[in-house]
Amino acid sequence: MATNYEGGGGGGGGGSGGAAPPKSIPSGDDAVWADAAPLIEAACNDLQEGELVHGENFSLFAAMSALEIMDPKMDPGIESSGYCSVDEAIENGIAPVPLSFDRTVDVKHTLDVMDHLLACEATWHNGHSLAQTVFSCIYILRIERTSPHPLLHSYCRVMRATCNAVVSAVSDARTHEEEDLFTMSYGLPLKDGGDDKCLSILNSVEETVSRQLRACKAQPSKKKVLEEFESLQTNPDLEEGYCRAVLCRLRFRKHFYHALTCMRKPQGRGLELARKHIAACLSELDNMFKSLDFLRSHSFYQESAVTSTTASGCRPIGFDVSLNSRLLSPTPPRAVKVLSWIDAVSYFEKLLHYLDTICSFSLDPALESVLHFIVKFQLSQPPLVARAHLQLLLVHDGKLYGRDSFSDVIARSLALPDVTKDKEFQTNEFVLQLGQLLINLIKILCANTAWQRRKLGKILQDWSVISIQLELALKREFGELLNSSVDESVCMKVSKHLLMWAQEQTYWIALRFLTLGFELQLYSPSEYCMVYWYMYVIFMKQVETMQIRIVTGSDSSRRKGKKKRDHHARDSGRDAMASSYCLLLQCYMCLSEGLAMMLAALRNESNAFQMLNIFNSEQERFIQHFELLQKAQVPEHISYHIFKESTAHACISDVVKHNYFREAQRIAASLKGSFSADPERLAELRLIEQVAEHNRIALNVINQVGAGDPTLRVPLEFTHHNHFVVAVVKRS
Amino acid sequence: MEGSSPEEGSGANNSPLVTKLRKLLFRRMLVGVEDGRFFLGLFHCIDKQGNIILQDAIEYRSTRRSGPSSWEQRGLGLILIPATCRCSCHVDCSIEEQMSLLSIDK
Repeated sequence: MATNYEGGGGGGGGGSGGAAPPKSIPSGDDAVWADAAPLIEAACNDLQEGELVHGENFSLFAAMSALEIMDPKMDPGIESSGYCSVDEAIENGIAPVPLSFDRTVDVKHTLDVMDHLLACEATWHNGHSLAQTVFSCIYILRIERTSPHPLLHSYCRVMRATCNAVVSAVSDARTHEEEDLFTMSYGLPLKDGGDDKCLSILNSVEETVSRQLRACKAQPSKKKVLEEFESLQTNPDLEEGYCRAVLCRLRFRKHFYHALTCMRKPQGRGLELARKHIAACLSELDNMFKSLDFLRSHSFYQESAVTSTTASGCRPIGFDVSLNSRLLSPTPPRAVKVLSWIDAVSYFEKLLHYLDTICSFSLDPALESVLHFIVKFQLSQPPLVARAHLQLLLVHDGKLYGRDSFSDVIARSLALPDVTKDKEFQTNEFVLQLGQLLINLIKILCANTAWQRRKLGKILQDWSVISIQLELALKREFGELLNSSVDESVCMKVSKHLLMWAQEQTYWIALRFLTLGFELQLYSPSEYCMVYWYMYVIFMKQVETMQIRIVTGSDSSRRKGKKKRDHHARDSGRDAMASSYCLLLQCYMCLSEGLAMMLAALRNESNAFQMLNIFNSEQERFIQHFELLQKAQVPEHISYHIFKESTAHACISDVVKHNYFREAQRIAASLKGSFSADPERLAELRLIEQVAEHNRIALNVINQVGAGDPTLRVPLEFTHHNHFVVAVVKRS
Repeated sequence: MEGSSPEEGSGANNSPLVTKLRKLLFRRMLVGVEDGRFFLGLFHCIDKQGNIILQDAIEYRSTRRSGPSSWEQRGLGLILIPATCRCSCHVDCSIEEQMSLLSIDK
């Protein structure tokens, strides 16, 4: 029979077979919790195998996504052997304040907490949740408890404020879309009104400790110190060492927090100051590292420095990872391996160097240099936090650096002097749309490379749509003028330039998309041929468009030039730069074409280079790799058949005759003068020369030996350049 | 327990017990599990083995192992409680309803 319980005692759980529901879980008005277990058991017996009792709104598909209770991989709230709540843990004394009544031990333990927190922070930055890393610290979870302990309190406060600053930077930049665990702070006491005061608390503690350090250094007889001054701890022999260890940790936190705040100042106003704080951070990290020996020599139980999360090698007190696991509601409870303290220190060193690179960027308003800077920055695979800060610096308030409107950026990039200040241009619908696309592009370029490539493939469509719209608008408005030789109106000239500019950017995105494939190792060597062929086609289109733009641009500026001499000089300088850049593209074009043709010829003439793949045909792989480009018609009318036609008859002797690599070498050499002021470009030119030279030699050797030679092996290696492969001839 | 013998001959849909069980759908149900937690949600589905799906479920957990305790709660959404870990099951009903709704007499 049905039994009813009207709430059992406070304790839940207990024996099986009908635990009474706790009083604090209310039933409805005038209702009771009635035991349904007997009915359920009886009714289930009457059910057929596989039959379900459910309402009309039931869907089996939706039911599959139900969280399975007590499943160790799905149920983060599953009761572990640990404590049931933070309060219970505190009552059991796992996070005492002070950490010990012996003041020397207290300082030692506090240092361990600081070190473990640093390791947790680095672990969090590397892709784990905040709840399972920094907030596994009970002192951070209940910060108010630490207030009688100024040293611990100040450190915890600034730690929490820093985490909050980093979370807000990453979520503002929306770079967390790639790693959504990062910003998840639901249910954690991350924000607190008092945290703006964290620096003043920290400063006063720092002052006290540095006074203690001075005091113990000034006293010749160490014994006296402890009597006359209030020392950090009680053992005079260790006073200096502990003071130093504490100070560098406090100062690191202070400067790190300052650096992050300065970097967020709009228009890059805080960058210079941020660099000073970054330099200070790095030197404090160095001091922290130096404290390792001292701390290790004064602790008894030690874990190896390679794995330990603290400098002393002792396990820290006051941490419990399982306490928070129930806050992670929808995510599976992952096991978190906290980085070692040494790894954490070197992570922060790296992060600070990345931040310093960002801070030392010149804030050049030219779009080309912005894009170049991001691409170069990304090459070193910066961590999420650095990328988020780069993005926030670049795009702020819908403006470049929060300073230049994107209409201005486009105008400057168009290199048409008359439009820069033109109101009509600034408010032109297309210009505004292109500005928005640029913002998206810059943001995407700051994302991690895998995510970035996917997004780039998708935005190509937006860029090609706007190009089509521009073209249509141009035809509609100036259709009758297009073929006439009458002097072009300014408006029409601007529209034409805008169209060409948009196309150039589209080609740039397409090339970034293709070259990222090399960095992400998405192509197999047998597919290099089609990738280089596609790159060659896009380079060719880009060069064509650019040449037209330079020619039409310089025509008009020459006409204007009669009036303004200075203007003319500046324009011609810009023209020269543009044509060098155009030449550089031609150089890439030769290289890509040469590689595509060489690989095609090898495939045609040598058995070793046959495309062997049982899973899919060459055409299918062509579609897989270039589908997004073809959907966006970048460039137009390119298909697998054109690729096939242009490579089917390639033979080594023809490729040798064409001398693509010699041409690339020649252009690269001739460009050295124009880029003499730019060491990076010069380095790039040298790499291209090397790639071209190696491939030219390889090609000649293959030609002499004969591609059909069965002993011939031609492994392809990225030894010189990230995107352009070098053929190495070997004979077995 | 009464009614534990399987219904013979009648299709499951016709079993009076299953009909009764069906009446519990969409009611508030409170399920206790082995580790002491309770889950409160709308009764959504059950199968022959007694695995229960609750909709809009809230988890209640005791903050202390012993002594006076308060309950922490958080929302979980759609959950599946396997029969093996279920140790109690209550539905929210008025005292008047109780007999007619839950008795297993046929």
